[in-house]
Amino acid sequence: MFDRRHSENHGPLLTILARADAARIKAVAEAVLPTLGTIEVVTSRTGLVMLPLRDTVQGTDFFLGEVLVAEAHLRAGDVEGYGMITGRDLERAMAMAVLDAARAQGHATVLEFIAQEASIQHAEDEARLRQIEATRVEMETF
Amino acid sequence: MAYVATRGGERAIEQAERLYRQEMGQITADRVAGLRHALPLLVDRVMGEASLYDPDLAALALAQSGGDLYEAVLLLRAWRTTQPRIAIAAPVRLEELFTHRRISAAFKDIPGGQILGPTLDYAHRLLATEVLEGTPFTPPPVDPAAHPAPAHQPSLAAWQKAEGLVADRPSAPIAPDDIPDVTREPLLFPAARAHTLQSLARADTGGVLALGYAAMRGYGNAHPTVNELRLAEAEVMVRHPSGASFSAGRVKVSQAEVTSKGKSGLLELGFCATFGWNEVKVIAGATLDLNAPGAEKGSAVEEEFVLYHTEPVEASGFCIHFKLPHYVTFQSSLDALRGAKAAQPATEEVPA
Repeated sequence: MFDRRHSENHGPLLTILARADAARIKAVAEAVLPTLGTIEVVTSRTGLVMLPLRDTVQGTDFFLGEVLVAEAHLRAGDVEGYGMITGRDLERAMAMAVLDAARAQGHATVLEFIAQEASIQHAEDEARLRQIEATRVEMETF
Repeated sequence: MAYVATRGGERAIEQAERLYRQEMGQITADRVAGLRHALPLLVDRVMGEASLYDPDLAALALAQSGGDLYEAVLLLRAWRTTQPRIAIAAPVRLEELFTHRRISAAFKDIPGGQILGPTLDYAHRLLATEVLEGTPFTPPPVDPAAHPAPAHQPSLAAWQKAEGLVADRPSAPIAPDDIPDVTREPLLFPAARAHTLQSLARADTGGVLALGYAAMRGYGNAHPTVNELRLAEAEVMVRHPSGASFSAGRVKVSQAEVTSKGKSGLLELGFCATFGWNEVKVIAGATLDLNAPGAEKGSAVEEEFVLYHTEPVEASGFCIHFKLPHYVTFQSSLDALRGAKAAQPATEEVPA
């Protein structure tokens, strides 16, 4: 069975890791890796995730298509780590899995990294949304 | 059955391929990255028609095919078959999309407002010829608003259903594994709605436009008005082995609803969505969805006609197969023609 020592906010933390900058997450994973002990790689592969979308007219779920993802799954002692990211960067998926396992082992540096990345991602989204807001129009009929 | 052999074919075929690829020259990672960043809408179109989302691979397919979209789509569809299917993501819901553009041509005061987003809708189309003279074209930067737009916008159709303007036809929940899939099942008619919408999502943009335009010009049953058009990013929600749900990343999606007044006295809606940002395709596709119910067999908007003739790989493949040797079958036609001619009585010569 998979290690169950995960907090309720595990999902949001994984979302931040999956979107983290490739170079930065790989650098942090390299730094954390020696502290994890013996690593067993369960899975490291690319594959497809089917993406359904719900039709707004009749509420029908249908497949929009397939998304290429990279997936990594590892064991480190008595914890496991998992990563999945869009794209084909196996190293990035493995870095995510390493940090997921390190977080389960209680490494504070991982939570610090996640907090930094969350701040960067929030700023990116806000900057984009301010640009989008600049295109708001009020339509009038004459 | 008879066959035709081509003498010396192997060498000629190899040289022909070399001659083709010579036009494209060396393909490098930099060229692929350049295509991806310079031609995002073309990359989107290829991903939509290939039904495979990965901008890097789409840009590579464009580089390898020299911009032949059908070849690019074929490359991606073929490559896709080498990959295992790992998971099925949670269904994307309109209200959860990170929305970049969202407009309605039917209602001006829509909940959440009209947001133009990235568009040339109201821009002049001028070719920047100065670039060819050595003056780079640098787009002016966006002046951002003081406050961000909401990341998520409500569904206009949901509001219309609540107002009683549109029939609310809730469909039964379906497990992800049970969603019909045209890549694994034959497309049969009348088609399951999931098959129809999936086929439109991966359809040829030009084909959908041609048939959708025919409907718009009067060869259909209903004239469309864009109810809602949305360009957005969807989270790919997958599951960690522990059960936690998380996003593996965002993908660009387009979706459109078009509307017209139905015979029931309510508004009727047509729907289409696809990977990438491709407004023409989803508006034309939604128009075809709106026109399909009750369409005459064999008409330009009838479901079977539309879905069979807008599949890009099948349509382009069938078209180009006609250039391959047909000497034996054509010779048979010639023989029949000559036979018929020989059987005809000689025509009398008309005196001058």
